[in-house]
Amino acid sequence: MTRPVAAGLAGAIAAVFAIGFLAEPLRGAGWFWETGNALGFLALAGILFQMIPMPRGGPVRRHEVLGYWILATALAHAFWFLAGDGTVRFYLLPGAPFYMWLGLAALLLLAVLSVLARMPDRRRVHQNYRGFRKTHRWLGQAVVVTAALHVVLSGFYLPRWWQAALLVALAVLCMAGRRLWARLPPPGAASPASYLAAGALAGAAFVLIRNLAP
Amino acid sequence: MKWLLAALLLAGLGLVALGLPFGGVQPERAPRFGGDLAVLPMTFAHESHFGMACARCHHEFAERLAGPSCMACHVTDPKVAPLLEAQFHELCRSCHVAEHVAGNPSGPTRRCIACHLDDHAF
Repeated sequence: MTRPVAAGLAGAIAAVFAIGFLAEPLRGAGWFWETGNALGFLALAGILFQMIPMPRGGPVRRHEVLGYWILATALAHAFWFLAGDGTVRFYLLPGAPFYMWLGLAALLLLAVLSVLARMPDRRRVHQNYRGFRKTHRWLGQAVVVTAALHVVLSGFYLPRWWQAALLVALAVLCMAGRRLWARLPPPGAASPASYLAAGALAGAAFVLIRNLAP
Repeated sequence: MKWLLAALLLAGLGLVALGLPFGGVQPERAPRFGGDLAVLPMTFAHESHFGMACARCHHEFAERLAGPSCMACHVTDPKVAPLLEAQFHELCRSCHVAEHVAGNPSGPTRRCIACHLDDHAF
């Protein structure tokens, strides 16, 4: 893995976690809740990193493998809460808050995006590579929008409006900053090991700092 | 991979629809507190809230209203019953979160099951 790749991934993970610490860093809900949400934030950071445009001929296989790990992290986030708190399911039944439907939509879209990008199904669905890239990018943007809104509207870890604005700005930068990214060294695609290592570090800090209070 | 994802989707749907198959009795929505509104159980211990001003929660004291317990009114009055979840989440969480952020013992701030247990006394 080259240095720009490591820096890009670590930067995305650090930025997503750091935004939550800019106000009320001790705002927490216990190790169980923070661990589950650390998985969610890690998945969001991974998705944002994956949205950074890659140069043509880049390491597509690494992008694909990292995508599976991000999907696994997002699934772990969902099942962590469903299996660990018997009340969470009521927030996925009729009458649930809108931000929970957005979270579910983000997870389903990410699953669809991953399945449709996998050979040989990709060839069955898409006639040509250009069409695939267009659909893949559109689905990725839908995942980013729904996942970011899920975080922003749930509101717990971003209590100030400007924190939500920063997260939205970061998402827009990763999705739409093609001209900016073209001037920087290409971040390419990171390895799952670096994703897990950086995620474990950021997640541990997230859980520990938010539970410093008694 | 698609079959694995389909199996996980089914497992998730099962968990949402039926609840956890392990971990003992799980909370259920049911008519409680003398009303017809199906609500989750709630737990509350007065003794752990000693030191708080009573009127912070008991607005009927300040409004000089005599009557049944707070929950009886909040699940039967058609004006406030639809707001039960939002009002009680705001009331409890805002105080618990403020205490937690200040580094004080706070009680639950977010974890659902920490409050939604039936203590048969609330």
